[in-house]
Amino acid sequence: MTEYAVRIIQLSYTYPDGTRALEKIDLDVPCGERIAIVGPSGAGKSTLLLHLNGVLQGTGSIKILNQKLEQSGLREVRRQVGLLFQDPNDQLFCPTVYEDVAFGPLNLTVPADEIQRRVDKALSDAGLNKSIRSRSSHHLSLGERRRVSLAAVLAMEPAILGMDEPTSNLDPRNRHHLIEVISGLKATLIIATHDLELVLDVCPRTVLMDQGKIWADGETRKMLADSRLMDAHGLEVPLSLKLGFKSK
Amino acid sequence: MRHNFIDRYAALDSPLHILEPRTKLLAFTALIVGVLSIPATNGFLFFIYAFAIAIMMGFSQVPLNYIVGRALLLLPFILLASLAAPWKGYLGFGVLFVRAILCLILLILLTNTTRFAELLRGMRKLGCPQILAMNLSFLYRYLFVLTEEAMRMKQARDCRRTASAPFKEELKLLSSMLGTLLIRSFERAERMHSAMLSRGYSGDFPVISPRKFSWHDLAFLSVVTLFIVSTFCFTNR
Ligand SMILES: Nc1ncnc2c1ncn2[C@@H]1O[C@H](COP(=O)(O)OP(=O)(O)OP(=O)(O)O)[C@@H](O)[C@H]1O
Ligand SMILES: [Mg+2]
Repeated sequence: MTEYAVRIIQLSYTYPDGTRALEKIDLDVPCGERIAIVGPSGAGKSTLLLHLNGVLQGTGSIKILNQKLEQSGLREVRRQVGLLFQDPNDQLFCPTVYEDVAFGPLNLTVPADEIQRRVDKALSDAGLNKSIRSRSSHHLSLGERRRVSLAAVLAMEPAILGMDEPTSNLDPRNRHHLIEVISGLKATLIIATHDLELVLDVCPRTVLMDQGKIWADGETRKMLADSRLMDAHGLEVPLSLKLGFKSK
Repeated sequence: MRHNFIDRYAALDSPLHILEPRTKLLAFTALIVGVLSIPATNGFLFFIYAFAIAIMMGFSQVPLNYIVGRALLLLPFILLASLAAPWKGYLGFGVLFVRAILCLILLILLTNTTRFAELLRGMRKLGCPQILAMNLSFLYRYLFVLTEEAMRMKQARDCRRTASAPFKEELKLLSSMLGTLLIRSFERAERMHSAMLSRGYSGDFPVISPRKFSWHDLAFLSVVTLFIVSTFCFTNR
């Protein structure tokens, strides 16, 4: 029997202003799998990710590692699920970078020397050097902020990692570095992104969302090469597939 | 964009900074009570207290002009409050004013020698209800959200405005900006709260390397106690 990291059944969500963002979503993610969520802007990708640790709560049922996601067990779930927000400005709230990255582990009451180790590792995994530690998060460039947010999430060493646009605003070198780091992670990954080359590199399975619904769910290379499907949902077959690169 | 306006110098390492937050909370509270209980006619004692506070300011390494600037910022409020006690005449006004200034400087010293998170922790340890500490911590966190949003909106406006509009138009723009600011910072604060929850926040702000109670604290506490007791004896003689 497969162990599921995430099981979502008939999840619907309407924002308070009446926008219907998710419509009866069904999604199963086995432990250790890496899946991508693609789709046009406004498809509901970010909204779906925010459900993974109970930040938003719609109707339907969500199970995280066989544990039903309920108000009472939220703390436990949040230990397991790390979320990288789409907007790094929302994710950083401490006076210095170091404190921001240490915030998660400190809340998990990790011992002091372990915190030190985790923060160091998270910062270097995110491609940041040590001089950034004492700077204020609010003075950093957008790309730097994104990497600090990533470090802050990695430092929690979550079993399930939801990432919203991890590569946006990154320069090519840091993008490559990030892809390497992501590929090396053991966590179950759910990546919402417009960066289809990243999807090809990292995720064997892809889910296509549009207008709050899932339209396709399957093998990445097959789906992304289907030009009719891609066109119908405002996407584009990635260049490397068109040109026949990346044959593994 | 600067957001650490309460405790900008809290990360220094002066003799005052290394004290445990509880020590400082107790000592500063005692000093404030001391200032408040100086008899109005005793000019000499006011001077002694001012002198003691000046010494602490020196030790704290917080720049003098910063402290003065902060105090000046709040001066109008103090003046207003002092004016609200007119029945006491000039002397009453002066005494009230000096008291307020001394207390204010003490508070500025306290908040600039202690990180806010540590201050809250100290308060919690001294029995302050969690809900109060939490509210204070959010006040502190979201103060800068508000200023940051305001700065961004101002930037956006300045970029799109080429000529200055008539005063009435300006006023209209300003009021609509204030409304938007409120909604935007509210929503932003909401999202940041979810970010905090996502990283295991449960009501207490964790502190990386908490100060420990040491002989420094003991020494400081004894000096302050001695000071207050002796001034007290002095007045009651
Ligand atoms: N706070 C909110 N209040 C009301 N409606 C919202 C809110 N946030 C998002 N929406 C709406 O919900 C829908 C889904 O938004 P979501 O942010 O999940 O899209 P997305 O797939 O992440 O898009 P993008 O690729 O641009 O990030 C959109 O129609 C959006 O306008
Ligand atoms: Mg999104």
